[in-house]
Amino acid sequence: MSTSVPQLRVPLAGRRSGRLTRAARAPLARFIGRRLLMVIPVLWGVSFFTFVAMNALPGSAAQSLLGPNATPQEVARFEAQLGLDQPFFERYWDWLTGVLHGDLGTSLASGASVSSILLDALPVTAELILVAIVVALLVAIPLALLAARRPNGIADRAGLFLSMVGLSIANYVLALVLVYIFAVKLRWLPAMGWTTPGEDLGQNLRCLVLPAVSIGLPLLCFYTRLLRADLLEQMQGEDYVVTARAKGAGPWRVLVHHALRNSTFGLITIVALNLGTLLGGAVIVEQIFQIPGVGRAMLSAIDNRDIPVVTGAVLVFAVIVVLANLVADILYSVLDPRIRYGDART
Amino acid sequence: MATRGPDLAVTAAPAVLEPALEPSAGRTAGRWRRSLGVTIPAAMLVVIFAACFLWPLLGSLPEPTGGNILDSDLPIGSAGHLLGTDEVGDDTLSRILHGGQASLEIALAVNAIGMLVGGLLGAAAAYWGGWRDTVVMRVLDMLIAFPSLVLALALAQGLGPGKLNTIWALCVFSVPAFARVARAATLRLREQPFMTAARLSGTRQRRMLLGHIAPNILPQLLTFALLGMGITIILEGALSFLGLGVQPPDPSWGNMIAQGQGILSAEPRFVLIPSAALFLTVVSFNLLGDALRARWST
Repeated sequence: MSTSVPQLRVPLAGRRSGRLTRAARAPLARFIGRRLLMVIPVLWGVSFFTFVAMNALPGSAAQSLLGPNATPQEVARFEAQLGLDQPFFERYWDWLTGVLHGDLGTSLASGASVSSILLDALPVTAELILVAIVVALLVAIPLALLAARRPNGIADRAGLFLSMVGLSIANYVLALVLVYIFAVKLRWLPAMGWTTPGEDLGQNLRCLVLPAVSIGLPLLCFYTRLLRADLLEQMQGEDYVVTARAKGAGPWRVLVHHALRNSTFGLITIVALNLGTLLGGAVIVEQIFQIPGVGRAMLSAIDNRDIPVVTGAVLVFAVIVVLANLVADILYSVLDPRIRYGDART
Repeated sequence: MATRGPDLAVTAAPAVLEPALEPSAGRTAGRWRRSLGVTIPAAMLVVIFAACFLWPLLGSLPEPTGGNILDSDLPIGSAGHLLGTDEVGDDTLSRILHGGQASLEIALAVNAIGMLVGGLLGAAAAYWGGWRDTVVMRVLDMLIAFPSLVLALALAQGLGPGKLNTIWALCVFSVPAFARVARAATLRLREQPFMTAARLSGTRQRRMLLGHIAPNILPQLLTFALLGMGITIILEGALSFLGLGVQPPDPSWGNMIAQGQGILSAEPRFVLIPSAALFLTVVSFNLLGDALRARWST
């Protein structure tokens, strides 16, 4: 192993060959360590940007909470009570130290702690998103294999066209059309509402179908297109495909056992990268189906100008995206040794 | 000897051309079909733009707001109201077309700003390289880490509703996206011989960026802008749907869908008509962007 490492590394970063031996000793641990260190400035930046975006905006939260009839004195007193009269950096520092202790502040509207509001809502959003991702993947993988089996064949062309059509449907449009068909006309599924899985799992799943499909259908099209493209790239350019064919493996075997395995890496990255868009979609779908997740908590906080809750929700969403990308990178390097050696230089 | 020269050329010419002709004849059908992939969505977009921006100028359409309450809830196909009227008597067709104007204007502005600011930023970052590239890209990575709709929602709320503020809120996601595309395209370009030649002949930085890099990355930015139009129109619709974009009574597809949501079971057309308009526009942009990308990448 150690003899093959320099050959891999030298053309990539010849002048740093002094670091090679150290990197070669524990490449995986080193890679993960570097990647974890890189997350710290990103997380700090995300928190700073969230706070700036939410607090530097015009409009007084106190005014909107007290209503238009409040006198300036009342507004000033209330702002002092909320700490809104403090200088910006002092407020940011207080907020950041609170966040590091797991305290996201208190809701202006209800007085409850923001972290407890978000913790109550998080499992709901997580269930919705995970079900959508898993179902989309389960359908997307066979579809992509079918399309990649004969590039430019009928299945491939139809798949490409239909997936583009699917990607063009806004999830709020899809949600309302689904509600109209399956809840209003056919009366098979509830149009809105939520039951926790602990209460009644069957009802929970019935509530989950329409929202999960609204999020999952565009996702399915997205995964299918990207996996197909990646599979085709593997089939055309990679030596191991030639080897597999040469030893007599059938076309399906090459696709499923060889190409798909390698395309999984790309798929993991795509799922992680796309999570931000997905969470945005969850916000609007939760609102339509009246599901008590983080997105709905955030929207009702936006309505009330409840800035601590909005800030907390945006922060939670952003941190989830950053951490998901971290996990994807680490998983990638665990599964694919080429990354560990190649990418350690950047 | 001298006489054989032209002779050879004449006899050689068909021999050279022949093999080239045969596949090209076979390829005509494929080329025609491929061009169909571009012309159909392009024609749909021309029709949509003309309907939204030119039809209201003809003066035969009723105003999108301030309709007569006595004309409320007319069905599709009524005299003078092709798509009927809503519960306050406003003409649905007129609202769809004016709403489309708002959507398209916002999407065009967001993508133009994204292409200009993001494109220059990404190209400059890739051209300079080094720490400036790192700083610019890290900041943009951070912006991309934010769920775009979540951030746009929060910003739209903070800035207050309205067309201009919707544009600013959506630019937060378009600028970094364009910057990434421009950066990747410029990085591929940087080591090309003509770039080295231009650098060696002492071309100034501004001329390098605007005269050499910009024209070469423009096709990629344009195809990305077409896909970006689709995304922006959906996001703008989402903001308006949630009451944070274009405000009623001014029409937009998003707020028309939101208004129709309450009477979905009784009158589904108030959801379905703006939904269809939204879908057709987005699918045209997406199909055109996809077809052009496939054509220009080969």
